[in-house]
Amino acid sequence: MTTALTTRLSSAPQAGVDLLRIVRINEEIKSVVGVAFKINIMALNAIFLAKRAGTAARGFGVLSNELRVFSQDLRDCMGALTGLIHGCVNEVSLVLQDLRHTGLLHQAAVLSPQSKAVGVLAAREIQNEQHTRRLASLRKQLKRALEDAFQMVELGGVLAKSAKIEAAYGQSFAVPLAQVSGEFDNIVEEIRASLESLRRSAFFTGN
Amino acid sequence: MKTTKTIFQDGNHKWVAIVRDPEKPNYLIDTNEYLITHGGQGLLLDPGGAEIFPAVFSALSSEFDPSALAGIFASHQDPDICSSLALWLEFNPKMRCHVSWLWGSFIPHFGGSAETFVMIPDEGCDISLDGLILRAVPAHYLHSSGNFNLYDKVAKMMFSGDVGAALLPPGEDSLYVEDFDKHIRHAEGFHRRWMGSNEAKRRWCERVSQLDIDMLCPQHGAIYQGANVQRFINWFDELQVGIVSG
Repeated sequence: MTTALTTRLSSAPQAGVDLLRIVRINEEIKSVVGVAFKINIMALNAIFLAKRAGTAARGFGVLSNELRVFSQDLRDCMGALTGLIHGCVNEVSLVLQDLRHTGLLHQAAVLSPQSKAVGVLAAREIQNEQHTRRLASLRKQLKRALEDAFQMVELGGVLAKSAKIEAAYGQSFAVPLAQVSGEFDNIVEEIRASLESLRRSAFFTGN
Repeated sequence: MKTTKTIFQDGNHKWVAIVRDPEKPNYLIDTNEYLITHGGQGLLLDPGGAEIFPAVFSALSSEFDPSALAGIFASHQDPDICSSLALWLEFNPKMRCHVSWLWGSFIPHFGGSAETFVMIPDEGCDISLDGLILRAVPAHYLHSSGNFNLYDKVAKMMFSGDVGAALLPPGEDSLYVEDFDKHIRHAEGFHRRWMGSNEAKRRWCERVSQLDIDMLCPQHGAIYQGANVQRFINWFDELQVGIVSG
């Protein structure tokens, strides 16, 4: 068995594991999208609350509006991540199919070493390499997009904490404003924890 | 590895049976593949599943250059018929796959592109192999709803797909049916359960009785030769099919 083929055949379980990891990443992204939608609704309610509170909650109203924009940006960002995830699923599926076909062609080449199977196997391995390279490229793009999302959530965290401070100036509305801003903060922390776990995914670290 | 047996030859016109792999795992049904060659071209009949591709390929390439295969004839859509299609196409991407129109958009799940498939109409059609005219003979509902046999008038050979198939027990693996009465016991259950229509079976028996056939070559089991061909047709005509107990 050639060294290249030994490597490819031993990477068969790895491709299967990668597929499972991608599925988990996608599930986490779906949950972040759901939470981002929740921020949007909460921010809309917070804007109405700030309007009722009047000038004392003007700063809170501005921050609530920013959080609403943040939730929309986060959803767009997650949409881009989902697109990359679908690309990864496609490439991993191709790699899995490559591995199966390469294994069968290799068996044919071993049984008929003088046949054209040897040449076809070599051509197949060049295509396999192309799929593997494309998957590696998508993996890097996904990691970069995830870092961008993380930076965005850092900003969301700052907005939520600023809203907490502004709530204190809400006079008679201080308690409900503090409650809303606390919920913002908790939700942004929830998203941060989700993205943090995605960053540590073995799909990126290769462990 | 499978072995090849030339079952008909007249100059460069040949029928080669690719049969009996002693290393095949028992969980895979045993299949017969057939290669028709004429001139410099070859047509592979029911090339088999992906898992047995190495065994079929190595046996075939001992007889014939696989890149010179002009086409594949798929009697129907089952995985043991042609799930190896993508692998064969690696050797000749221009190869054509002749199949019932009914399965034209199903079999591409095994591989190939829009250009790969040549749709056979329900009434059948002629397929040319370097000037040799082969006839796709309708065998619908036997067992698949879009199903064809392939008749070679010159060689008097008929590839009958699942019709005539027998699930042979270990040790009974001769290429030709030797004792019809003993052999047919291994075919009876298969035909009763897999063949779905007595009416379709009747029509097939009438149609095939009119053909001059020396050998009836099924995809599983042994080949019917000489008088056993008509004996099989008569037996099948009498059999009640489409029956499941329970």
